Amino acid sequence: MSRDIKVDRVAMVFQGRGEPVIALDKVNLHVEAGRFASIIGPSGCGKSTLLRLIAGLMKPFAGTVTLGGETPGAARRDKKLGFVFQSPTLLPWRTVRQNLELPHDILGHRDRRQERDQIAALIDLVGLKGFENSLPHELSGGMQQRAAIARALVLKPEVLMLDEPFGALDEITRQRMNLELLRIWAESGTTALLVTHSIAEAVFMSDHVYVMSPRPGSITSVVDVDLPRPRSLDDMRTPAFFDCVNRVRDGLFGRSSPAAPDQRQQIEA
Amino acid sequence: MAPGSSRALWSGVWRPLVTVIVCVVAVELLRKTGLLPVYIATPSELVTAVMAKPSLVTQNLGPTIWRATAGYAIAALCTLAAASIAVSVRQLYGSIYNFSVTMHSIPIIATAPLLALWVGTGEQLQIVIAALACQFPMMVGAVQGLQAADARQRELMEVLSASRFQTLRYLLIPSALPYLFAGLKIAAPSAVLGAITGEWAGADRGVGAMMLYALSAYNTPTIWLSVLLTCLLAAVGYGVWALVENLVNVPGGVVELAE
Repeated sequence: MSRDIKVDRVAMVFQGRGEPVIALDKVNLHVEAGRFASIIGPSGCGKSTLLRLIAGLMKPFAGTVTLGGETPGAARRDKKLGFVFQSPTLLPWRTVRQNLELPHDILGHRDRRQERDQIAALIDLVGLKGFENSLPHELSGGMQQRAAIARALVLKPEVLMLDEPFGALDEITRQRMNLELLRIWAESGTTALLVTHSIAEAVFMSDHVYVMSPRPGSITSVVDVDLPRPRSLDDMRTPAFFDCVNRVRDGLFGRSSPAAPDQRQQIEA
Repeated sequence: MAPGSSRALWSGVWRPLVTVIVCVVAVELLRKTGLLPVYIATPSELVTAVMAKPSLVTQNLGPTIWRATAGYAIAALCTLAAASIAVSVRQLYGSIYNFSVTMHSIPIIATAPLLALWVGTGEQLQIVIAALACQFPMMVGAVQGLQAADARQRELMEVLSASRFQTLRYLLIPSALPYLFAGLKIAAPSAVLGAITGEWAGADRGVGAMMLYALSAYNTPTIWLSVLLTCLLAAVGYGVWALVENLVNVPGGVVELAE
């Protein structure tokens, strides 16, 4: 099961100390059920704010957000939302398994045996078998983040939101995590929305890449990625992949970007 | 006990033990040689005083322990409840915290006569004074601790649609424990001192009463004995909580309230 994400002319204003700051202005976005979409943009363009609005952690100043026709608050209360933060945010006094049990603890237990089996399967899915009884500080950053992704999947969410989940990881771990996330996403069948500032990551993962620009935060272009699935790292060598990367870059920097910064971006990508 | 752990225990114990022995021997020697400018009861004199009249210890220690413990328990219940409310209902935070600060800033000597008027001069007075004397460190510990969870962890609870009570139980209380224990440890000696101060205000038995009687009878060894007992009680109060903290803090230990 999965739901579509619909963001309709959403605006967000923060009342700072001085002038009110327009964080988001007339943002429209539509992700079909079961698809993978990314939001990319420079720091401070309001990507995380947009994600929090979609998760119902904030209320928009204007406009509407619906998840499968429901408000984010209602979807969250139905436990249909999964959210992965920038940092793993595991409870340090709980073991990996206990951290994964937290959503059930809060929802109320229904069938403990079935829950146990499901959590064991999830631990297996994210490759943490053998670490069920480890405390978070005993795991590497990548393993902690995988545990956090597993926790977000415990209640079988229909929408999975990820806020720069691999931002703190090294490039090698990050690529591996991207592959694993795609596999997990394909198996779970959920709609996924990823916030990132890596162009390659956005293109590699997504069906649609929403490009944002700051002041005020708004979506300037949408790049549709038509690479076949399941994807592998080899897909990152194809001309189709580079074409998409270039289109995202054009969205971010404009076509007439100066040569030197452009080359630097090429390396980053 | 394994030989390794008994060796570990010994390595932690021998330094303080040597310090105590050196101090005891030094006092005895200095008294014998007449070098001390002030009168200090020697350990041997204290032992003689206790042997001569064991009821001094047996009859006075119990009441003080009971009053300090009762006051401490009341203060712990009240401050934990008040701190939970203060942290969950932001509008009440200032009032509750400031009330605790105010109660702490008023010297107990000043409030004792008023309290005696309100609750009477019986045992309840000592219990109330003990409670008042130790509430503040607990309050600070509880309020600081309940705010120790970081913003991400709070957002996580929000994403999971946890109720206020669930947030308190699964996040706020476990992350408050280190602060709570610090408060509870510091408060324990204060409760003992509060109980003794309360006993000065009027009690037949108790370490404070014993101190007062000995003072008016110029019975210096008994004064020293009461001082020693006070220190002992305060140290035990601290030690009990240090021990509990160690038991709770074993890896993967029972940090959250049992179901």
